[in-house]
Amino acid sequence: MSELLNTLMQDARVWQGHKHNKTTQPAELTGYQALDNQLGGIGWPRGALSECLLDAPGIGELTLLMPLMQRLSQAGKTVFWLNPPHTPYAPALAREDIDLDQIIMIHTEDKGDFLWTLENCLRSPVTGLVMAWPGKLAAREIRRLQLAAEAGSNVCVLFRERHYADQNSPAALRLELEPGDQQGLKISVVKRRGSWPGQRCSLAMTHRAGLFHHEAPRVVQGPWPLSAR
Amino acid sequence: MLWLYLHFPHLLLDHIRRSSENTSALVIVEGSGQKVIQACPAARDLGVDANMRLKTAVSLAPELGIARADQQQETRILEDQARWLYRYAAHIVLVPPNGLLAEIGSLQRLYGGVPAVWQTVEDVLQKHQLTAWPGIGHTPLAARLIARNGKGTCTADKSHCLQTLGKMSLLAAEFDERTCTRLQRLGLSTLGEVFRLPPADMARRLSPETLAYIQKIQGSRPDPQTPWQPPHYFQQQADFVQDIEQSQGLLFPLQRILSELEKDLCWRQQDTDCLLLVLQHRHAEPTRLRIRTSGPEHRAEAFLSLISLRFDQQPLQAPVVSLRLTVKRFLGREAPGGQDLLGESQDLNEAWHTLISRLQARLGENALKQLAPQADHRPERAWIASGVRRTSRAMKTTANQLPQRPLWLLRGPQPLTEIPQAWFTGPERISGGWWDGQRVHRDYYIAQLNNGQLAWVFRDVQEGWFVHGWFG
Repeated sequence: MSELLNTLMQDARVWQGHKHNKTTQPAELTGYQALDNQLGGIGWPRGALSECLLDAPGIGELTLLMPLMQRLSQAGKTVFWLNPPHTPYAPALAREDIDLDQIIMIHTEDKGDFLWTLENCLRSPVTGLVMAWPGKLAAREIRRLQLAAEAGSNVCVLFRERHYADQNSPAALRLELEPGDQQGLKISVVKRRGSWPGQRCSLAMTHRAGLFHHEAPRVVQGPWPLSAR
Repeated sequence: MLWLYLHFPHLLLDHIRRSSENTSALVIVEGSGQKVIQACPAARDLGVDANMRLKTAVSLAPELGIARADQQQETRILEDQARWLYRYAAHIVLVPPNGLLAEIGSLQRLYGGVPAVWQTVEDVLQKHQLTAWPGIGHTPLAARLIARNGKGTCTADKSHCLQTLGKMSLLAAEFDERTCTRLQRLGLSTLGEVFRLPPADMARRLSPETLAYIQKIQGSRPDPQTPWQPPHYFQQQADFVQDIEQSQGLLFPLQRILSELEKDLCWRQQDTDCLLLVLQHRHAEPTRLRIRTSGPEHRAEAFLSLISLRFDQQPLQAPVVSLRLTVKRFLGREAPGGQDLLGESQDLNEAWHTLISRLQARLGENALKQLAPQADHRPERAWIASGVRRTSRAMKTTANQLPQRPLWLLRGPQPLTEIPQAWFTGPERISGGWWDGQRVHRDYYIAQLNNGQLAWVFRDVQEGWFVHGWFG
């Protein structure tokens, strides 16, 4: 019995308020030092769900995952994009040094198929990362996904709308993403295993559009009237 | 030369019975549907017998399953048997409707004697749940007569063979009725007595054809046989007496067929990636299901799980009368590429194919896409989505040569509804498509919208502003 308790403690499954446990859960570094520090130096948990909660695309949410995607695709692991809201643009991915042979985009018609597909991807040893845009999910369904994620040892990131931050979720890591100053990304940790949530950090994401701050905007003014913009 | 003849006394019956789970009484009736020609043991226990009128049979056993004999079907089933026999003997001749002839004289050294050949064939017959009467003879016709009369013994001795033949009655020797009567009038009653007649005499008194027949039995006249060639594809059919309404019921016969496919593929040392399953209905167009695996595959269980997934997705339209599985595409089998001698590390390649096949079976072929850049200046044509393939092409483009592009591309340009908060780079003029009529003439900018989204916006020729991508 005590052995069981010890395992629970070590895996940081029992939340202990008085101390910050270093979890022994397997994880993948995010590739952003500032964020890794906030996450206790471990990064994206493997074999568990992570959630990114954001309002609108285009704030740097994919760039956040880019270092991981690069690393996994080059290591020959498959990266699944499940029901992405827009088309992942191949020329941009190629520019980021991602092995496009390892990228598979899947579209499902209904939620039953979605959950089934996600479960199958999560259980497979070939998968490295699953990025999914589930839309509305019942708590029971997230729980089902969490169990499927535990069966494999892959990183699974669900992109959901920000208002779900108020609802509870069995996901091991929940990040709230907001656009920050100077095209950066403000991240606040809503939940993480084995420690207090509430850490915040801001990542510079200007490189995603090739912008640099010390330069002035490089817009060439055309002959068109300014009011048109 | 030594010939082995396999006579299948009730081939159709065996064929139907082995593709159904229940073992209720079953009979085969002749084409007109009046007379029972074959009855299974369960039917015989109830008193139903061959040559009985169907009405009598039904009154004896009300629950009787009835299948009608069909010559075409029988030929096809016979060919199925030739296909497995081909694994054991090279020179095979089909003798419709229910016989197979194989030359075994040349196999004696391979198997180590005639008894070993005999034993092998009997084992395989049992494995295929078939009843056959084997017979060995020194000529094809001798083997056939011995087998059809159920007098087959395992011997390579010619005199023993002639002795068995000699004891056969004229009717058993399959002379036609007229010749039979004439021979009887000559005072002959067994084949042995006919053998002793001088040939010239026989040709004069009877017909030259009869002489030829007798000489072919004896082996003094050549009797060339055209060998059967196996087709270059795999095909198996299962026929059902009672229509199958639930797709679960199809899995049992499929299991047997798939395990034969696995053996066939193993024997060919090949794999396949495409199965065609045709379900015949009584009153509707046949359903054709194409089951694809994403990579070369040969395991029966993998095929079965894909097919059952497909059945879950696609319920049966109508009750099924028969099913046919065809494989026409064969791929060379690759040697397992793992460096691990003990096989401890999982074969990722195989796992990849299993996963993709499963997903494709449930979601459809087109649900899974792989992306690749394409050489075109127009952003909406600069990428291509293709079916999933396992490739290891090392296409390396120097990343820095590619222009700055957003990670998200919208399915189509969306009108820009607000004035962006800040402008960054631009314009990048993209003009092209005059060669195929899809003209594009745009100035692209990177701009930040008021809610913080970094957008790829453009202004087209008509001065309209659109969002075409997000820098996600």
